[in-house]
Order: sequence, then C-alpha cells, then structure tokens
Amino acid sequence: MSLANDAPRFRAGVILALFVMVAAPALLVIYQSVLDAPFFDDNVRFSLDAFRFVLTDPEFYRALWTTTLYAFGMVVVAVPLGGLLAFLITRTDLKGRTWLEPLVLVPMFLSSIVLAFGYTVSVGPSGFVTIAFKSLFGAAPWSIYTLPGIILIGGLSHVPTVYLYVASAMRRLPSDLEEAARTAGAGIWRVSLDVTLPMVLPALVFSAALNLLLGFETFGIPLVLGDPNGILVLTTYIYKVNTIFGAPTYQVMAAVTVFLILITLPLVFIQRRLLRHARRFAAVGGKGARTNLLRLGATGQAVALGLIGLWLLVSVFFPVGGIVLRAFVENWGEGVRLTEQLTLANFKAVFEIPSLSRGILNTVLLAGVGGAIAVAFYLLVGLAGHRNRGRSGTLLDYSVLIPRALPGLIVGLTFFWLFLFVPFLIPLRATLISLLIAYIIVGLSYGLRIIQSTLLQVAPELEESARITGASVYRSWRDVVIPLVKPGLAGAWAMIMIVFLREYATGVYLMSSGTEVIGSLMVSLLTSGAMDQIAALSFISIALTAVGLTLALRLGAKLHD
Amino acid sequence: MITRRHVVAGAGALTAAAMAGNRPALAQGIPAGYSADYKDLVDKAVKEGAVSIYTSTDDVQGRPLIEAFRAAFPGIRVDYNDLGTNGAYNRVISEAAAKQVGSDIVWTSAMDLQMVLVSKGQAETYKSPEAAQLPAWANFNDQLYATSVEPVAIMYNKSMLGALKPPQTRAELIAFLQTNKEALKGKVASFDPEKSGSGFLFFNNDARTTSDTWELVKAFGGTDPKVYGSSGAMREKIASGEHWIAFNLIGSYAIEWAKKNNNLGVVLPPDHAAAFSRVANISKGAPHPAAARVFLDFLLSQRGQTAMAGSGAPSIRTDVSEGLNIAKLNEMAGGKLKPIPVSAALLEASDPKTRAEFFQKWKQALRG
Repeated sequence: MSLANDAPRFRAGVILALFVMVAAPALLVIYQSVLDAPFFDDNVRFSLDAFRFVLTDPEFYRALWTTTLYAFGMVVVAVPLGGLLAFLITRTDLKGRTWLEPLVLVPMFLSSIVLAFGYTVSVGPSGFVTIAFKSLFGAAPWSIYTLPGIILIGGLSHVPTVYLYVASAMRRLPSDLEEAARTAGAGIWRVSLDVTLPMVLPALVFSAALNLLLGFETFGIPLVLGDPNGILVLTTYIYKVNTIFGAPTYQVMAAVTVFLILITLPLVFIQRRLLRHARRFAAVGGKGARTNLLRLGATGQAVALGLIGLWLLVSVFFPVGGIVLRAFVENWGEGVRLTEQLTLANFKAVFEIPSLSRGILNTVLLAGVGGAIAVAFYLLVGLAGHRNRGRSGTLLDYSVLIPRALPGLIVGLTFFWLFLFVPFLIPLRATLISLLIAYIIVGLSYGLRIIQSTLLQVAPELEESARITGASVYRSWRDVVIPLVKPGLAGAWAMIMIVFLREYATGVYLMSSGTEVIGSLMVSLLTSGAMDQIAALSFISIALTAVGLTLALRLGAKLHD
Repeated sequence: MITRRHVVAGAGALTAAAMAGNRPALAQGIPAGYSADYKDLVDKAVKEGAVSIYTSTDDVQGRPLIEAFRAAFPGIRVDYNDLGTNGAYNRVISEAAAKQVGSDIVWTSAMDLQMVLVSKGQAETYKSPEAAQLPAWANFNDQLYATSVEPVAIMYNKSMLGALKPPQTRAELIAFLQTNKEALKGKVASFDPEKSGSGFLFFNNDARTTSDTWELVKAFGGTDPKVYGSSGAMREKIASGEHWIAFNLIGSYAIEWAKKNNNLGVVLPPDHAAAFSRVANISKGAPHPAAARVFLDFLLSQRGQTAMAGSGAPSIRTDVSEGLNIAKLNEMAGGKLKPIPVSAALLEASDPKTRAEFFQKWKQALRG
C-alpha cells in the first residue's frame, strides 16, 4: 500500500508553516534587491541599480571565482577525510575510538571566527607553532593567509559536519554485509569501498552538497584570514559593500544574496536527482541490526591512529591551543616570554561586565532549551516530509535549503525587520524568542537532514505492518518511527546545541541589551578589536560546549556505539 | 517581577546612598552649576526609570562611564547596546520607520553616519547646560555633540623594528616607508577605508586637509600593505610581531596598550595631529526623553568625562585631569591638534560621488 497520501492536512500544515518562515526572509531579500533605498524609506523606488552595480564590479567576479574555488576545495578536503574518519571510528576496532569521537567534533564547537583567530595565534607568521618550527628548522614554509591555506583550514574545519552525517548513517548499517565480504577474503579497503561506501552514499552526497552550500556561505574564516590580504569571498564582499558606501546599502547586499540563492538552487536540484532512489538504501529492517567491528590489525591501527593524530593536531590542537593561550595572556608572538604574560584579567573583565556575563547565560538557555525546541520542530517537519513524494515534499526540500543560501547575517537582519514591522511579532522582538526563531531557520538544514537521514533508515515495511494491523498514520509514527529514531533525536539535540552555541552572525542585528549571546558579542567586540575579551569568551564557549556534549552523551545521545 | 537588573540597580542605589553622605552634590541632586529647575528634569528621568544607549563603544570601555552614571542617578537603569557603528545606524533608521524608537541616546564613533541621522531629522534639539564647557566645533546646532578627542597615531613593535629608527612625523613616515620598502614587505598595516567607517573618516579627512596623503598611501602601497577593520586587530598583529608598524590607528587606544606592553611604541606625529570624536545625540521621539537629557548632560559633564578618560577616551574638556584631555593632546602635538569638527561637511563622506572618487584614488595610489 502507498503511504504517500497519509495525513495530508498535517503534512500540508507543517510544510506551509515552514515555507512561510523560510520564504519571508528570502522574499524580503529579493524585494529589497530591486529597490533603490531601504524598503522602509519614504522615497523608495523600484530600481535595478543594485544589480547593475554588482554586475559591473570586477571585485564581484573575483569574489565569485574565489568562493567557487573555496567551496569545491572545501568539499575535496572535508568529504573524503570526514568519511574516512567516520568509517574508522564507527566500523572498525580502532583503539580509543570512544574518546576520539568527541575530539573529532571539536572544530564544530567553534565559530569560524574563533577558529581562524586561534590559527593566527598558533600557525600565523608569529604564531607559537611557527616560531618553534622556525627555531628548529630555520624556516616555516607555510602561510595561512593565502587562498590554498584558507581553503585547507576551511575544509579541515568542516570535516566534523561530514563525519556526523556519515557516522550516523554508518551506525545504522548492519554489519552482516561487511562481514560476508570479509569472510569471502576481501581486504578492509575493498570492504569499505565496495560495501560500506555505497551504503552510506546518501549521507556522503548530503554532506558534500551541504558543504558546498556552506562553502558559498562561509564568512568567518575568509574574514579573519583573507581580508587583510584582499582575498574576498561573496559573504565578505557583502560585508564590504555594506560599508563602502558609508551608510548601509541594503539593496546591494540583497542583490549579492540573490546571486547566492541563484547559485544554490541548482545545487539543491542536483542533490534531489542524486537521491531520487533513496529507498534503495534503507537498511534498518525488522531484524535486529547488530554491528560487528572490522579488525584493522596492527599496521592498520598504527596508520589509522597516525592519520587521526595528524588531523587532530592540525584541526584541533592548533586552533584550540591558540585560543587557550590567547585567553590567558595579554601579549604573544615573537620575542614575548609567555610565562611573564600569564593573567586572568581577560576572564575577570568578562565576568564583571553585565552584558558579557548575561550573554553567557542567554547562550546556555538558547542552546539547551532552544535546541530542544528546535529539534521538536525539526521532527514535525521531518515527519511531514517522511515518505512524502508529493508536491509538498518537493516544496519542503527547497524550503529547507533556501535559508542555507542566506548568510546568517542576512537572516538575522531580515528577522530583525520582520519583528519590527510585522505587528503581531513586535512584542517578541526584545526577547530570546526572536533569536530562537532565527536560529531555528539557520540550523534547519543541519538539523533536519540528520533527522531525515535517520527517518530514511527506518524500513517502510515496519510502518506498513503497523498500518495493516490497523494503526493510524499518527499512531505508526508515535509507536514505531519515533521510538526507533530516538537515539538519533538525542544526537540531533546535541548537534543543534553545538550549532546554536557557536552561531555568531545571526544575532548581530537581533540582540539587544538583555538578549546578548556569546557569538554575536564577539562580533561586536571584533569591530572595536577587544581581542582580550574575545579570547576569553571563545574559551568559555568551548568549555560550555564540552560540558553540553558530556551532558548530552550521559543523557543518551549516542554519538558513538 | 524582580529581575536581575533590578537587583543590580538596587545594589547601585545602596552604594550611592552610602556615598551621598560625603558628596552632597551627587545622587539625584542638582549637579553644580545647573539651573534650579534641573531637579524637575531629574525627577522626570527617575520616573521614566531607564535610558537606552545605542553605541559603538564596547562594554569594556563604556563600563566606567555607566557605573559613574548609576552612582550619580541610581534610579535610572542603563540599557547599554553595543551595536557597532553600522548596527547602531541601521537600528535607528529601521526603528524610526517602524515608529518604534528604542534608543534615547545614540553615541558612536561614526561622526559621518550620525550627521546623516541628524540631517534625516532623527535627532532631538537640546542645549545641554554643559555645552558652554565645550569648544565651538564640538556642538552642531545643539543636536550632535562631540564627547571625546581621539588622535590618530603611529604604533610600532620596538624589537621588530630593531635598528630601524621609528618615524616621528608624518613626513618621516613617508620617507621611512620609501627607503625601507623591501625590509617592510608585508610588515606595515593601516585602517581599511573600504571596510571601516573610521578608516574612511581618517583617510578622507587626511586627503582633504593635508597635501601629502596620496604620497603616503603610495609609499604604503609599495610595502605589500595590510589593511584592517579595527585598531584592536592591528594591535594584535603589531604586538605579536607579525607586523612591525601601523599608522592612522586610534591613538588613545594605542597609548593605553603601550602602557601595558613595553615593546609597543606610539607616536602622535606633530605635523599630522588629526583627531576624531565619539559623537552623541538624543533620538527623535526617544522613549525616555528626560533620562536621555540627563544622560547626555552627564556624558559631557566633568564626572562623566573623567570616567571616560579613565578608560581611554581622552576628554574634550580641559578641566578633566584623569588620563588625557584636549589641552594635553594639543600640547603633545605642539599646539597643532586638528580635531575633525562636528559640522555639515561630514555629510560629504556619505556622498556616493565623494566616496567613489576617494576609492578610485586610493586604489590607484595603493598600486604604487
């Protein structure tokens, strides 16, 4: 029997609600892009001048080209590495994988601004690693301020995104197929390439497409590392056109954002084509899915651990080491004796200043409670799209990916306007609810994809048998689907919490006195250059994430088996 | 409902009450030298209970001022919003259009953007009783007030410069960049006029007031120049040795940083002593009009200025002994301090034609 037409009202209602939430900022951006002044200006008129400016600006084309290189470069770095790490940690008997996993996720905990900042302190021209390397070998032959350097750092920092998608898919795979191949004499690489890889292809494709989108939206890393050298990507170009005219020129920002949407829509289309036959990959059947791990052997262990160690050194130790160091000193660099610089003054300032300490509290609330609300919302949307092959399913897929095409800064700005100009939303503006709604939209594609790929792995025959025995579609969701995906939900909550903790751009325009959040406070502080407090806040944000993650794991969020 | 904020305000009130014994002029009384009916204004302000500030001065630097205000007027809560220059401007015009004005005071370093707000009718006219204490150029039609004087400076890393003698004047800086072109490759930094409003304000003001600006930019262009959006970012790179020298950064910050780090040197070039100001206005339709007036007066008063000067924003008043003030700065600059006046000329900076011309020259000069 077909499940496609079940619960049409619920599906249509949820999808429509989501569409409104997503389309409102996108439509506002498109509308703003064809005006000659802010849309609320009294003398505003229709005009294509913004597009004319963008299309005749050589810097736009340069930024577009750089962004393309960056996005594809990031995928090339992140997808194979993330997939490999997921395979090693979830499917093999790699030593220490239980404690390796949280470590592997660390780059996700950090907003990219913080990450880039950490890299300048460790491997920048005067970084402590660079200085140590120079004193040992005479020269340090790298530069993190070049395009390849920025791409590499961007790619490495997105390995955890790929890892989470692929690992959550791999965990749900039964191991009998791999074992069969092993018994038939296939080596571990054969098995992973011919058996595991095709089974997790949907997750790999999802994460590659998502990373491509993230690449087009990337902001923090090129801002900190590329800007001083004049390396511009589309988002930093938006940032620049915002100031280059003196007063903010929303129409030009909006026009560039429209181009970003135009670039990403075909990506969504391709992704949908690739996943048309997702049903083929459903692997959790009615039978129990016990996983037996592949044995790596001594050499395999050494190679795998060495590889992971190197990746951890570059992706975790360098940036985090940089931040930790910077948080506890006032000065660093060449000729500075760090032992003379140790201080707690940076933290003292954070705790003495009401807005900063309030920001910590708000961030915890928004990430913990808000994250749970967000997951509940994503689950509703996920169910509305579950086994939904109708038109509303198509609408859903596009609705989900549209906000991905909008830079967080723009989402925040449009929501600021919506809460200011839409009468029934006005009372919410100065509350954390306005931030939560914007955050839910920004985290939508992350969170929903995790939930969807978990939902996809529930074999339809389970729901079908529930329906045949007389259960309504809601009952089959409540008693079959949701219990089966529960570990996935806890994992999604942990992940959304992390995403909300590190988010920085969305709150910049939305927060007010009383609703400060750490990430956006750091952006405010960055404009005045208060690096001492930024470093302390980054450190606190890392610590909070570590606490949150530990809690989540205790509560049963299964990030590892 | 009792919020944390009330508790904080309450604690402030207790402290202030304890202090009131020794300092009778403070704590809800009429500040010395104000007219007798000022008490009515303060009463009204206390009744309003709060004042909302949109600013670009970060919380760390703004805090001493806010605490001094709380001590003086414990009944008035301060909602302090650090939004950055563009953020503050954006919020003010958006809220005005939505008829939901949320700011009482706008106080930022974007002199030009705030002058645009004034020209758009977004500022209230109010003659502060402190206005008499200010230089004439610091008050625009009783609408926009300069609240500080902050010179631009050269900052350098002493050990990295080594044997190179740091330039003491703008003319020496040009020669320094020209003669040490090769040694300085990638080591010189300055403000980015494209991404920073302050950067544009400084360089555009330079270009209008001095003849050698483009020669300087050209010399800068020869060194594989690095440009930044804030003074703090430059400090980080100079202190770490990644860059050796930066010019046109905010001197008042640089002086504070050099106090804490012996390896940093600061020069206020006497042949180029330009200075900008943080400017303040009362928002049109401010939700707390009386509290806004009381806050603006406090910001310009000797006490408010003392608090600000203590956290690194030199006072525009000559009677403030804390930190630096306009007279001391002028002395340091050999009597040639040239603050950017708060005048309608600032509007030029947001005129698209002026900007396009500036950037064309800027790019051309940077290519060397």
